[in-house]
Amino acid sequence: MAGNFWQSSHHQQWILDKQDLVRDRQLDLAKLSEEEYQKIFNFFASIIQVLGEQLKLRQQVIATATVYFKRFYARNSLKCIDPLLLAPTCVFLASKVEEFGVISNSRLITTCQTVIKNKFSYAYGQQEFPYRTNHILECEFYLLENLDCCLIVYQPYRPLLLFVQDIGQDDQLLTYAWRIVNDSLRTDVSLLYPPYQIAIGALHIACVMLGKENLKPWFAELNVDMDKIQEIVRSIINLYEMWKSYDEKKEIQSLLGKMPKPCPAPQR
Amino acid sequence: MGDNFQNNKTMAPVMMDYEFKIKTQNERSKVEDLFDYEGCKVGRGTYGHVYKARRKDGSDTKDYALKQIEGTGLSMSACREIALLRELKHPNVINLIRVFLSHTDRKVWLLFDYAEHDLWHIIKFHRAAKANKKSVMVPKGMVKSLLYQILDGIHYLHSNWVLHRDLKPANILVMGEGPERGRVKIADMGFARLFNAPLKPLADLDPVVVTFWYRAPELLLGARHYTKAIDIWAIGCIFAELLTSEPIFHCRQEDIKTSNPYHHDQLDRIFNVMGFPQEKDWEDIRKMPEHATLVKDFKRSNYQNCSLSKYMDRHKIKPDSKAFSLLQRLLLMDPNRRITSEQAMQDPYFSEDPLPTQDVFAGCPIPYPKREFLTDDDQEDKGESKARQNQQQQQPNTQQNQVQANNHDHAANNAKRMRMSGQNQGNTGGGGGQQEFHQQQQMMFGGQQQGGGSQQQNNFQQRF
Repeated sequence: MAGNFWQSSHHQQWILDKQDLVRDRQLDLAKLSEEEYQKIFNFFASIIQVLGEQLKLRQQVIATATVYFKRFYARNSLKCIDPLLLAPTCVFLASKVEEFGVISNSRLITTCQTVIKNKFSYAYGQQEFPYRTNHILECEFYLLENLDCCLIVYQPYRPLLLFVQDIGQDDQLLTYAWRIVNDSLRTDVSLLYPPYQIAIGALHIACVMLGKENLKPWFAELNVDMDKIQEIVRSIINLYEMWKSYDEKKEIQSLLGKMPKPCPAPQR
Repeated sequence: MGDNFQNNKTMAPVMMDYEFKIKTQNERSKVEDLFDYEGCKVGRGTYGHVYKARRKDGSDTKDYALKQIEGTGLSMSACREIALLRELKHPNVINLIRVFLSHTDRKVWLLFDYAEHDLWHIIKFHRAAKANKKSVMVPKGMVKSLLYQILDGIHYLHSNWVLHRDLKPANILVMGEGPERGRVKIADMGFARLFNAPLKPLADLDPVVVTFWYRAPELLLGARHYTKAIDIWAIGCIFAELLTSEPIFHCRQEDIKTSNPYHHDQLDRIFNVMGFPQEKDWEDIRKMPEHATLVKDFKRSNYQNCSLSKYMDRHKIKPDSKAFSLLQRLLLMDPNRRITSEQAMQDPYFSEDPLPTQDVFAGCPIPYPKREFLTDDDQEDKGESKARQNQQQQQPNTQQNQVQANNHDHAANNAKRMRMSGQNQGNTGGGGGQQEFHQQQQMMFGGQQQGGGSQQQNNFQQRF
């Protein structure tokens, strides 16, 4: 569905307010600093990305899965559902919504097992992926409820293509900006700003990186709130700054240790 | 052994927080707590079961349609249906009010407004009347109003890049008495169909016969993609069926279990009505995957005397009428030449008196019976539906599909509130309805009566 963003549930229910977002995270931020919280999301976004790639999903589907994941934890603490279960559940649901062929239950579980073992052993050591199909299916119902059945997510990719077309096809610019949009999934911007603004923000960063001074007039003529674009740019640049001094392989185990975890039913 | 078991159990991480689970459970409302629907099944099909329901707490006395989706969990078609209907909002597209997820039996329920009528039942009623030489009183502009609203709804879907993919009379609902009296609601979009494999699901559909009558010629010749033009062809078929009470491309249907799109008998029927397409009328026909089969199986000379104008003339629709001219534009064989829903809505047919009305019954009494409740005896029903297939069409695929949000509270739900479309001037009930009433005339819809009645009736038919 490429319908009207302004009338969509995305625009009407899921462009969140920054203050609300911070407030709803209080429980988790009591145990984690903002930076640690972001690092944990960065890690699970990687899991979703790699799972999606292994399952040969389009980037659009991967991005949608990532947004489901972020939306769930925007309203709930990390302790409510183990993110290691929610991540593949988001991939599973997004692949069905985007009509990209059903992933069989067994293929999903096998892929999770291989990915965790081969690509994320630095985080989980010898521990295997612990969940089975029935866990994913149960989790899927909770996810759908918490998303309030809002499953169509608008992504920055389509507006980005249109903007680049408007600028005059520039493959290098598109490639850079496309990657920046991918990276933006590791920040909160998809919860806070409409996708077309994220596309402009990504283009802006790409222009700076490529030293494309000549595009300044193009930006100046856009009828957009440049303050918002600057906020988006700042969020993404902050991510890049964080990456410079961060070694996920070294730090993630202790971060996962600190993460709030689900509590079992009380013993009788 | 006991130790092992214990061990596994303690090693598995806790997937969900107990407190979160209990809290969510307590907040979740169950469909059976909120609605009465037992014994009120009104539809059954490959999509599942549909019930006519009322609120238990009496906070309103409206009828609702509750659709229990076939199977358990979230199939891809259930996901697509929820995802799209959650976003769609148009007076002529069924409205999803709420989704219920039943965690214990993993059933998915969708709540819609209740539509008392559909074109399958309406046309069937007219056919039965015709067979008994009885007339049915409906306003003379009814077919036009129905078509206009179908086009309006499809135009909305198409402009959102949603293709229906399964338009047929059973999927066109009409609201009964109430605030939306006589309004068309398009239902049951073919959510399960893949864009690149249009025919795949056919093989999976079990005992209900899938009808080919509304299927565009390019699909029968192996076109691999659904398009807007395919929906338009189906609307043309429905329009013709409304004008004549006969499915225009009626074709004997065996239980079609093949995944091959090519269907000889159905193409033969289309050519018998339309004539065999001339090269100049459909240049790209040679590019169709099944073109070679077509050339092998069919002889142009067999259809020399066939044309849509002759067919419609036999059914008392004059070739110089505006209705015929619009029909012809909808039923163009070449999908590239077929008009769009937007163009169709601009057709002179709709600016000619009688003008289309928002209440398709134009304030007149509704002659059609209400839906009957179905029994739960599956065995009996299967036999019955077999018999029905042979004489008429596939099972009325019924009711419902609307959709909407999970956000149950009307107040909180502005995003999904119904908007009146600009094109429809509001004359539902009340004063507008009265006015319409004077224009109303007796007529029989698609009838072929003998004697004095028939001439008068022909006049009306032309004016549809």
